[in-house]
Amino acid sequence: MIELHRVCKVYGVGPVKVSALSDISFRIAKGEFTILTGPSGSGKTTLLRLLYRADVPSEGDVEVLGQSVPKLRRSAVAALRRSIGIVFQDAKLLPDRTVFENIAFVLRVLGTPRREITQRAFEALRAVGLSARAQAYPSQLSQGEAQRAALARAIVRQPPLLLADEPTGNLDEGMAAELIEVIRDIWAGGTTVLLATHQARLASQLKRRLLVMEDGRLLKDQG
Amino acid sequence: MLVFLLGEAFRDLRRAGRVAASAVVLITLSLTAVGGFWVLSSNVGRAVAEWRDRVRVIVYLRGEPAPGEAQALVERARELPGVASARYISKTEALATLKSTLGKDAAVADQLPSNPLPASLEVTPSETGATPEGARALVASLSTLPEAEEVAGGMDWVQRLTQWQQLLATIGLGVGAVLGVAAILTVTTSTTLVLHARRNETEIMRLVGAPEVVIRLPLFLQGMMQGLLGALIAIGALTASYAFFAPRVEPLVTLTLGLPRLTFLQPLGLATLVAAGTLLGGCGGLLARGRRDP
Repeated sequence: MIELHRVCKVYGVGPVKVSALSDISFRIAKGEFTILTGPSGSGKTTLLRLLYRADVPSEGDVEVLGQSVPKLRRSAVAALRRSIGIVFQDAKLLPDRTVFENIAFVLRVLGTPRREITQRAFEALRAVGLSARAQAYPSQLSQGEAQRAALARAIVRQPPLLLADEPTGNLDEGMAAELIEVIRDIWAGGTTVLLATHQARLASQLKRRLLVMEDGRLLKDQG
Repeated sequence: MLVFLLGEAFRDLRRAGRVAASAVVLITLSLTAVGGFWVLSSNVGRAVAEWRDRVRVIVYLRGEPAPGEAQALVERARELPGVASARYISKTEALATLKSTLGKDAAVADQLPSNPLPASLEVTPSETGATPEGARALVASLSTLPEAEEVAGGMDWVQRLTQWQQLLATIGLGVGAVLGVAAILTVTTSTTLVLHARRNETEIMRLVGAPEVVIRLPLFLQGMMQGLLGALIAIGALTASYAFFAPRVEPLVTLTLGLPRLTFLQPLGLATLVAAGTLLGGCGGLLARGRRDP
């Protein structure tokens, strides 16, 4: 599902270079639930960005769903992203649209037939336990609800891979636990999950495969 | 999908707010200028065409030829290049025409001791003879007729009218082009603002793998909407101006140019203005660039 071969990422122009990732290699099989952890600035977000081609590695190769991501053409990048659900620390909901419209928006831009949109959007809302808040605007949601709405938006296309970048970063413990439970349910439905978090306690509580990063290096691959 | 894209374009148009309104105003001004000069130019063009048809060259003769000689002279004149037809006007016919022109003062002509008017040939130029160059050549060749005393008439003033028509068309296009470029730049600015305002949507669209055309099309469509709106307002303004000014200016135009009435733009001309406005707006929408992925 995901395979990284000796990936390096260096930022900077001219003589000033900052190494964000150094010699990272690992493999995630289909159906796995993997936690990517490490302190802030350890390179987790950079690594995730390489997976959905928001960035390209300076060296090495990144394979996702059997495709070498850095070599993809622009149109193929869009096709790859249609197979990946992505959630961020910031929910990135569109403020002038209701929760339902935020989710339907994704389906509409991808040309989903109108009659399917309502059904699929409500299925996604049910999956994250947010059906009752479908007509609420983002400003009327708690942070936990906003993250669940973002999660519904990520899974509404039923992608085989879910990338979650610090989804609980802005949540208190209770809300974070609720969100993790929802992500577990999604994983149980057959979706491969890669969750990045700097919250070491949360990472250890999940009792799943742990990839531990520090200063752009993969320190441990356990579980 | 089209309904969705149009909905997004309307949303973008609202977001662009005053800058979009400025773009619409500029498109309106540019198309009103082009359309206004177009109306003027096409009416002057009609006058030129009508006057070309009416142009006659008069060959005044040294003496009055005998009836048989007059017919031969007409035949010789008809064979000259640039002549469509020729008609002999005797001294008697010329005097009768003068009397008819004088109307109630015709008695003045009766007091003349003799008919002072010369016999003449009235020559109608052909299409090639009705051009300024053709008319000059025609006058020159008619002057070589041994019977010719003087040749009067030409196309110089028609030429001047044609130059006015071309000047009007050039001014119209020039003013329209300058305002058109300004309109494109304003639409580009408003679209850039839209890009900034919709950056969250664009980010989500790119993250979920929306095709680039779906991301760009609403921008193009909102530009086209600005252009279409500007064109429709321009046509409304032109129509209202024409309805107001035409009845007031028509008597003067009839007197000076000989046109019985003015004409407005034909449906094809109106359609061209609408298409030009829509294209201007669309260009502005396409020119705006947003940030792209690496």
